[in-house]
Amino acid sequence: MTVPLSWYLIFATALFSLGFFGVLSRRNAVAVLMGVELMLNAVNVNLVAFWRYLTPTDLSGQIFVVFVFTVAAAEAAVGLALMISIYRTRKTINVEEINALKH
Amino acid sequence: MDLLRSSVLSLIVFLPVVGSIIVALMPKEKEDLIKKFAIWWSLIPLLLTIWVAIDYAMNFMHGNQMAYQVKLAWIPSIGVNYHVGADGLSVPLLFLTALLTTLGLYYSARVIRKRVKEFFLLFLLLSTGMFGVFVSLDLILFYVFWEIGLVPMYFLIGIWGNPKDRPQYAAIKFFLYTLAGSIFMLLAMIGVYLSTGTFDILQAAQTGVWTNAPMFATLSFWAFFIAFAIKVPSFPFHTWLPDAHTAAPTAGSVILAGVLLKLGAYGILRVLLSLFPGQFAQFGWIVAALGVIGIVYGAFVSLAQTDLKRLIAYSSVSHMGYIMLGIGAVAVALNMKGTEGAAESAAMAFNGASLQMFMHGIITGALFFLVGVVYERAHTRDLKVFGGLSAVVPVYYATMMFAGFASLGLPGLAGFWAEFFTFRGAFGIVPWLAVIGVIGIVITAAYILYRIIQSLFLGEYDPKRWTHWTTVFGEHADGPTDMALFEKVTLWPLVILMIILGLWPTPLLMYFNEAATNILSNLHF
Amino acid sequence: MSESIFNLTWLIPLPTALAFFAIILFANPKKRLSSKIAVGGVIIAWILSWAVAIMFFVNPEFTEQPFDLAVPWIPMGNIVFHMGVAVDAVTAGMLFMVGFVLTMIFIYSTGYMSFPGHLDPEKYPDAAKEGLDPRYSRFFAYISLFATGMLGLVVADNLLMLFIFWEIMGLCSYLLIGFWFDKSYPDPKQITPKAAGLKAFLTTRVGDVLFMMGLIFLFIHAGDLNFQNIFANQEFLHELSTTTVNLPFFGAVTWAGLISMLIFWGAIGKSAQFPLHVWLPDAMEGPTPVSALIHAATMVSAGVYLIVRMSPLFSAAAHGGSGVMMFVAFIGAFTALFAATIAVAQKDIKKVLAYSTISQLGYMFAALGIGAWVAAIIHLLIHAFFKSLLFMGSGSVIHGVHHGHEHAHAHGHGEGGHEEYFDPQDMFNMGGLLKRMPITGWTFIIGGASLSAFPLITAGFWSKDEILAHAWADGHMAVYWTLAAGAFLTAFYTFRQIFLTFFGSPRTEAAEHAPESVRSMTWPLVALAFFALFGGFVAVPVDFPVVGGLASDFLAKLMEMQGEFYGLHVAPARFDWTPALISMTLALSGIVVAWLVYGWKPLKAKQSDPLRRWLGPVYTVLENKYYFDELYYFIAVRPTLWLASFFYLFDRGVIDRIVNWVGAFNRWLARTLRRWIDEYIIDGAVNGVGLVTTWTGAVVRLIQTGQAQNYLLILLLSVVILLLLIPFGS
Repeated sequence: MTVPLSWYLIFATALFSLGFFGVLSRRNAVAVLMGVELMLNAVNVNLVAFWRYLTPTDLSGQIFVVFVFTVAAAEAAVGLALMISIYRTRKTINVEEINALKH
Repeated sequence: MDLLRSSVLSLIVFLPVVGSIIVALMPKEKEDLIKKFAIWWSLIPLLLTIWVAIDYAMNFMHGNQMAYQVKLAWIPSIGVNYHVGADGLSVPLLFLTALLTTLGLYYSARVIRKRVKEFFLLFLLLSTGMFGVFVSLDLILFYVFWEIGLVPMYFLIGIWGNPKDRPQYAAIKFFLYTLAGSIFMLLAMIGVYLSTGTFDILQAAQTGVWTNAPMFATLSFWAFFIAFAIKVPSFPFHTWLPDAHTAAPTAGSVILAGVLLKLGAYGILRVLLSLFPGQFAQFGWIVAALGVIGIVYGAFVSLAQTDLKRLIAYSSVSHMGYIMLGIGAVAVALNMKGTEGAAESAAMAFNGASLQMFMHGIITGALFFLVGVVYERAHTRDLKVFGGLSAVVPVYYATMMFAGFASLGLPGLAGFWAEFFTFRGAFGIVPWLAVIGVIGIVITAAYILYRIIQSLFLGEYDPKRWTHWTTVFGEHADGPTDMALFEKVTLWPLVILMIILGLWPTPLLMYFNEAATNILSNLHF
Repeated sequence: MSESIFNLTWLIPLPTALAFFAIILFANPKKRLSSKIAVGGVIIAWILSWAVAIMFFVNPEFTEQPFDLAVPWIPMGNIVFHMGVAVDAVTAGMLFMVGFVLTMIFIYSTGYMSFPGHLDPEKYPDAAKEGLDPRYSRFFAYISLFATGMLGLVVADNLLMLFIFWEIMGLCSYLLIGFWFDKSYPDPKQITPKAAGLKAFLTTRVGDVLFMMGLIFLFIHAGDLNFQNIFANQEFLHELSTTTVNLPFFGAVTWAGLISMLIFWGAIGKSAQFPLHVWLPDAMEGPTPVSALIHAATMVSAGVYLIVRMSPLFSAAAHGGSGVMMFVAFIGAFTALFAATIAVAQKDIKKVLAYSTISQLGYMFAALGIGAWVAAIIHLLIHAFFKSLLFMGSGSVIHGVHHGHEHAHAHGHGEGGHEEYFDPQDMFNMGGLLKRMPITGWTFIIGGASLSAFPLITAGFWSKDEILAHAWADGHMAVYWTLAAGAFLTAFYTFRQIFLTFFGSPRTEAAEHAPESVRSMTWPLVALAFFALFGGFVAVPVDFPVVGGLASDFLAKLMEMQGEFYGLHVAPARFDWTPALISMTLALSGIVVAWLVYGWKPLKAKQSDPLRRWLGPVYTVLENKYYFDELYYFIAVRPTLWLASFFYLFDRGVIDRIVNWVGAFNRWLARTLRRWIDEYIIDGAVNGVGLVTTWTGAVVRLIQTGQAQNYLLILLLSVVILLLLIPFGS
């Protein structure tokens, strides 16, 4: 007996929603970033699942995952650096207070 | 040789632009340098046109095709080409343009004192427009050059015009009037394109324009005609001319009368005659009638003038009437194909009209220079204050006599042949109109002799009547001084041409005759 | 040999043309040199003319195929027009006369053109010191060009070239008549030289324009204008005289008739025939040698020469039933009498001669009109000799009287007093001059006798008699009697002039002190007097009693032979006593009447013309030339000037105003458009777009919180909405 594809998809959906909820609801910018990581990883799960079940001969699914990892790492690095920079100037990392775009 | 032949027309057309760019780069304080440069530079096109004339006479006579053709794609998407070429009609007119441009620049170098740099720049630019029209074989190219000539002339009249003569009014009148005409022309050109799919004059002539839609053909014909008639100017579109001529600086009047007016007549012969022969044949009598009205009316109005320059301006209206009469006669003759003698008369009328284009250029050019000569000294052109100058300024008198008698068509001087050929053609085709036109000859004699010669030169010289004499260089003088060397150098080439062509017009006529026989044979005469 | 001399024909007009250019370009400041160049030029032309003419006279066989030398000159469509020179009997005769008379006039001019009386010597100190006209050089340049015009006209082998030289002469006549352009008279009504020149040019121009029309029609029909080609072609002439053209008022006329009529109008203008005669008397305002040039040797005879040349066409027209020959005869005869009557009442010595010229030209045209072209050309030649003699003689008289006036003025009463205007040309200021000026006087009398056709011994008798004999023999009685009456008047006014001028006692101090003229002026008079007496023997009819056998009448024979070539058959008029006696009687009685009135009891100073008493108002009418000047002023000059002003007003007031209205209308339209369409519609639309944008912005900016999480929420909502819409999409 094998695990059907839909299980993976349901799992990934849950993970994505969890991450997205985190992004929308958390005030702490670090937490928002963590939400984003969750969303990315949900996509990764999807990609790997589709590769395994639909096109096992084609490597592109796996390669995409590797790319996403890389980008996520870079994103986290840049994001955290921005956080620190914002914290230094504004003494806060509460996203509700960071509304400079409005002005 | 082949390289020169393929590039010579483009050189003639664009060298003046290059010259005006160089002038633009010169510092404006160096007036002498600018003047010298402009004059010498303008000699290059002059020499090239002479070369073209000789080369054409030796190698292209009886070729029955456009010589020196160059055809390059310009705006390929709508089939506009840079297509230039010259035939017997354009070669002498190119020479005339170059000659009058050089003489005009040379003369202006001594009498233009304000904004020298701009003047010479614009003058060079002006000649490009005129050269361009005479070589264009593509309608859009023709139109572009046609309009290029307008702008410098507008400024020449407006800026350097005599402040007493409302130069701004004259300039704007000239500009708008011509522009109004050319709008019609542009529309008609687009019509030609829609009908034939090309802007090329030669191709369109072969295909025939609006052959299946006579209504459009007629409309296009009149649209073109109005544009050309305004430029000629033909009665009743002539009223911009006296104002513009009177207000323009001397060299500007010379170019205006000598060349710019010819563009209209040239356009009629080059474009209307080849593109719309059918309509032209139908309405030719109107053209001829307008010509006759112009001859007589212009002559009478000249007789009523007391301003020397305005008189000569109106005399241009009269003289351009001969051209219209000749062209109209050619057109009417298209209806008479096969009638005995019609082809011969048509060729004569064509020759007459084209001769008049050239002869009027040199004669009226000289007359306007002569007006300049007296105006620079007396600072008035009112004929009533002069008298008896013949005793004081004999050289000026002699020069004016040559130009004046050439203008009234005295045999032995240039003007006669134009009149003779025109009337020879017109009498064979539209005799009744010609009979009326003949009245103009008598009145012409009257205004030249009675108004110009008698008022200026004859009678007793009374220095008290007009005391504000200066020399041509603006220094105070006790009375009129005779022509200075530079004025002689300007005028005598024209006088010599008048005499030589008056005795033996063949060197000029062979080009026109070639064009006449070709164009008429292309119309299946 | 002879052929090669004819090859020189084309050179004949050249020396004087070169002299013209040499003088105006180089020799102008040197007066004496200029006159030498001019005289040298004309002498060469004279020698060449005589060489050609005499060669023709001694070889009459050339009449069968006249000489013609033409070169291709002008391309005209598919044909090439040839210009060239031709010599036939008529040309030879003309060359003989023109070359000689021109030379005499040139030599005479060197003496005549002294410092003129109307100029102030202080204004022209150099010229006054030399005693020459300040524009001496210019004068010789002009007459050289004039000579070129005449010589070129005579040798031209085609009508176009003839026309060109014809017009050049017109130009020169304008320049020369108005030569003293700064002269004015105390009487404002008296015509000044400048006005006279203008009048001459414009009047002849009217004729010339008609001539040019005729020329053009001939050209259209013949395709060529060469005299020999056209006129030796009988078929062409026949065709021309049978095809017709419809004209308004005249109905159908033959082309030959129309063309010859138009060309004849050219001759009417140039030869001053009625009704275009008005310019010639006023042309006397020019210096006297000019009058001799214009009225004797050149310009006026050009008109006659033209019609002689065109005779084949005229006779073809007559054969075709056209009345043009009758018209010519009528104009000629009428003018002959008409001008003679005016001449009777003139007091200006030159005006009398001017009207006599018009009258004599009338004789020639009358002769041409009745077909006697040989008689016309012979009278033309002989008239040229005696008329130039008379003109130059009158010039000599005027000169003498003028000097006499100056002399009297300097030695008598002139000091400081107000100077009255003195007219040295008024015959009533003269009298008794024969004693003071014997050479001038006697030569003038010879010329006058010749003009009056004094029987047997003068040339004028033979040539005029020829015309009258033709008129009689061919049955043109009206012409004959008109001309005979003219002959009586001619003799009368000529001898009136002679008696008033040369006989009796001097009526003014000026006449009393008049000196004889210088030699350069007198000996041309003597040379011309020779021809005025004996030139006529070339025209003595062969069957005339006694003298008929002496001369062979060779010129007339030569002309008749030449006529054969052109298809003109002129039988020589047989000599008839009746007309000869009538004309002799009339001429002699004219002289006798003149003697009775003026010679028997010479007039005293200040005495008025006895004719005025006898003729009353008729005399006033004659004196005023039948008021033709006034008439033309009212029917031609005034309307022309009026029309000119009217057209100018029309131009400014109507045509130009329309143009300006169009401009003004456009400006009005522009303003209106700016006000209404611009402000409310175009501007309204632009502003409207702006308003809408502002309002939308105000609304939309509410969702721009700057909170990234809000944006994401909107994103989520949007995606949800899109997902919900999917079922509707398909």
